[in-house]
Amino acid sequence: MLSLENIINGIHTWLNNTFDPTLALTCEFVLLGITAIAIFAVLGLVLVLMERKVAAIMQIRKGPNRVGPFGMFQTVADTLKLIMKEGLTPDGADKVLFNLAPFIVMIAAMLLLAPIPFAKGVQMWDINIGVLFISAVSSISVIGILMAGWASNNKYSLLGAMRSGAQIVSYELSAGLSVITIVILTGSLQLSEIVNAQQNGWWIFKGHIPVLISFVTFIIAVTAETNRAPFDLAEAESELTAGFHTEYSGMKFALFFLAEYINIFIACAIGATLFLGGWMPFHIGNWEGFNAIMDYIPSSIWFVGKTFFLIFLMMWFRWTFPRLRVDQLLNLEWKYLLPISMLNLLVVTVMAIMGWYF
Amino acid sequence: MNEIIIVASLGILTLLAEIFNFKKLILPLVVAGLAANIVVGIMEFDLASYYNDADTLRMIESDLYAKCFMMLLSIIALVWVLVNYNFFSDETNQTDHLALILFAIVGGFCMVAYTNFVMLFLGIEILSIPMYVLAGSNKRSLRSNEATLKYFLMGSFATGILLFGITLIYGSIGSFYVYDVRMKTASVDFTITPMFTIGVVMLIAAMAFKVSSAPFHFWAPDVYSGSPTSVTSFMATFVKTAAIAAFMRLFITAFPTAIESYKNVFFILIIASLFIGNIIAVFQTNAKRLLAYSSISHVGFMLLALLCLSEATSLKSLFFYTTAYSFTTLAAFLVLKIVSENASGDDDISVFNGLAQRNPLLAGTMTIALLSMAGIPPLSGFFAKYNMLFMALNHGYLWLVIIAILASLVGVYYYFKIIIAMFTRNSTDSTAIPLSLLQKSLLVLLMLIIITIGWNGWVFNLI
Amino acid sequence: MITQYLFYFLTFTAIFCALLVVFSKNPIYSALYLIVTFFATAGHYFLLNAQFLGAVHVIVYAGAIMVLFIYVIMMLNLNKEVEPHKSNIIKIAATVCGGILGLVLIAALRETELGEITEYSNNGIGLIEKLGNVLFGAYMVPFEISTVLFLSAMVGAVFLSKKNIH
Repeated sequence: MLSLENIINGIHTWLNNTFDPTLALTCEFVLLGITAIAIFAVLGLVLVLMERKVAAIMQIRKGPNRVGPFGMFQTVADTLKLIMKEGLTPDGADKVLFNLAPFIVMIAAMLLLAPIPFAKGVQMWDINIGVLFISAVSSISVIGILMAGWASNNKYSLLGAMRSGAQIVSYELSAGLSVITIVILTGSLQLSEIVNAQQNGWWIFKGHIPVLISFVTFIIAVTAETNRAPFDLAEAESELTAGFHTEYSGMKFALFFLAEYINIFIACAIGATLFLGGWMPFHIGNWEGFNAIMDYIPSSIWFVGKTFFLIFLMMWFRWTFPRLRVDQLLNLEWKYLLPISMLNLLVVTVMAIMGWYF
Repeated sequence: MNEIIIVASLGILTLLAEIFNFKKLILPLVVAGLAANIVVGIMEFDLASYYNDADTLRMIESDLYAKCFMMLLSIIALVWVLVNYNFFSDETNQTDHLALILFAIVGGFCMVAYTNFVMLFLGIEILSIPMYVLAGSNKRSLRSNEATLKYFLMGSFATGILLFGITLIYGSIGSFYVYDVRMKTASVDFTITPMFTIGVVMLIAAMAFKVSSAPFHFWAPDVYSGSPTSVTSFMATFVKTAAIAAFMRLFITAFPTAIESYKNVFFILIIASLFIGNIIAVFQTNAKRLLAYSSISHVGFMLLALLCLSEATSLKSLFFYTTAYSFTTLAAFLVLKIVSENASGDDDISVFNGLAQRNPLLAGTMTIALLSMAGIPPLSGFFAKYNMLFMALNHGYLWLVIIAILASLVGVYYYFKIIIAMFTRNSTDSTAIPLSLLQKSLLVLLMLIIITIGWNGWVFNLI
Repeated sequence: MITQYLFYFLTFTAIFCALLVVFSKNPIYSALYLIVTFFATAGHYFLLNAQFLGAVHVIVYAGAIMVLFIYVIMMLNLNKEVEPHKSNIIKIAATVCGGILGLVLIAALRETELGEITEYSNNGIGLIEKLGNVLFGAYMVPFEISTVLFLSAMVGAVFLSKKNIH
């Protein structure tokens, strides 16, 4: 059967048989890098198009429909336009930081791809603290955003960056706490083990209401962490023009834009891995026939399907909920989400000790 | 351990009081809790209840030394809370103040009972962080803000140096456990490496900062005078006692043999503290600064006990000195607080002018306290100094004793400055100062303690 | 082999950036260099196979503390003009004192004989499981007591930032 795992193993054995080990390793690294960049580019294109299409469906209109069939090449055209544009650097800006910032945000987003299990046996780096690695690296992007905002020498940018920083740092707490519930249930920080623990059922089904609560908190928190509506105060086009990337144009702007969508993808991928079983197919008890059919669907499809379902959810939020004010946003986190997730953590711990899950 | 658990639970109770809105009850509850803590401590004050540190995984032990100092700290804390009853009258910050003080008390307990450097560090931090905050509790006052910032910056540097010292000692010994350090250093094949020496010297420097011994005293006058008087009295009594007890414990548990190698360091600390404390105090016009410098000079006396560690009476002398000093200082600060609150927060020495006419009880207590600090017999301060000097004399430091006596003679001068102001000068404001019943009884109690504590030597022989 | 090169690279980065923290005129740059230093330190943890410590180091220092640092610096809009002028005598005195301390430290550490080095071979010394066992085993008392420390720091922060109601 043609699966991602087989292809990768095939390449691995072929390289090792053909070249000496060092060269083979180098080749693998190069291939990995190319793949990562390719995933990046493809995801960017797909997600931007998806965002526009989903928005169009929500608002009962057609969305992009001129370039290519169903407007499929619209984002490609947009990207080309952005690449061709001149990258301006404002006069009063801090040149070094201004130009460095988009790359830092980008690198942080790229590093996050490493520990994600895309399919059965397909993972770039199965680090034993996968979950922590993700929260560690995702905290770097805040620094990039703050740098961008400050270096632009623009009040709107600075305000946007400040808001973004406050928002990300606060919502990281409840995101982290809801991730920890799963870590407690699994007993491991390693993403591959978390996925394996869901072989007989996804955590969202096995873990009863407490895990459902932590799933909801997680989704709210990552929506806020990625600065998306209804928490898009960092950009807030009606009050801050475009937030921290007001002054950016051309390719540098595109990098921010891309990193934002990749962050959405990664947040949803983590959500899918932790709560929805990652690449694990959907099984129901001992319905042998049904399970066999489900197993026949490749694991990569399962993973991508779940992830895109969550992304769709986040896009849906954008057109459903009204935007929050800054104080409401921080109140929501510190007065409601954080206490709830702390209590929930306690409940999950008791549940895990007593073994009250399937 | 019981003491730590009781007081930490009280601290959490105060935080719950804020949430569940029984703030009116909390102050009596805390006083009752602290009293209960003392009762439990006295009931457990026999050999049978000493636990060694195996129960706490080699972290804390309750030997006689720890027990005695914990009791002393508990009593100081209780008296302090009673003395500063109105420090907790502000509705907005009542629970914060109480919780911070209670947590600081927990830190003090850790500092006198540790058997592991980790606990020493934690104790110091738990004691210091609430103090940093409380030093700035008068948020509208610029001097209070300055005090908190200064205390915080310098204190964190001192803690950094302490950690550096601990790291170097760990590097040369391979353990954080004080008795391991003692065993290793006592063994024949142990040669003092430079790394070890620097580690010990850094520990000494950090601890000398915490006890505000000269030449690490620069923060003390500013912080003492900037902080609210209640907080200053806590710093001068509780914090100082806990810090000097921790300093002493470091040498009786970890480096009992090493003190001889580092005695030069202690000579400098002691002589500098005695002279800088006493001589600069002469020129002070602010009562709080004066008391701050006087406390520096008292540290000079206390450090004599560390220097003469091999003498049998060194622990007794230190315990008695800290007891006498703490109660004397509490009394002095109580009077200062009442008087300066009456003069709308002014704490210049001139507020004491004519106090004898305005309120004889206050003037009497202040006189007794100052005479005790100066070391006039038959007050407890005299016995405290006598014990210290006698011990140093036995140890053969005649020259140090002469220096100490000379320095404390200077001290007599500035203590008398306040006494003279109280009895001979005339105040601009001659209205009587009203006292509540609690204040009156506390003044009398403290006066009795200061007078009687040294008489038959039971406090001296407790440890 | 590659570990050794990585070690030298990380060490060099850490020291170089730490120096830049001190010598940068612009506080923002100082803070950013400090972040790089933290990353290099985290890299050292990773080299020692203590991934958990490394990740936590990044999360806590680079991700939370330094972000707040930068936040405050940006908010106050500090720049080189605001920096108070220090007199030359203080600068010279500080340099001399620091130099003497450095001299003593270097001289002492030069003479230090290292004891026998026990190599912990691949028993997962820095892994989270081992760390958890140590924290909740041998160091349980300090671990629990440190909660009092954090609680008091939290109460202190709330207290200092609270408005007095009059």
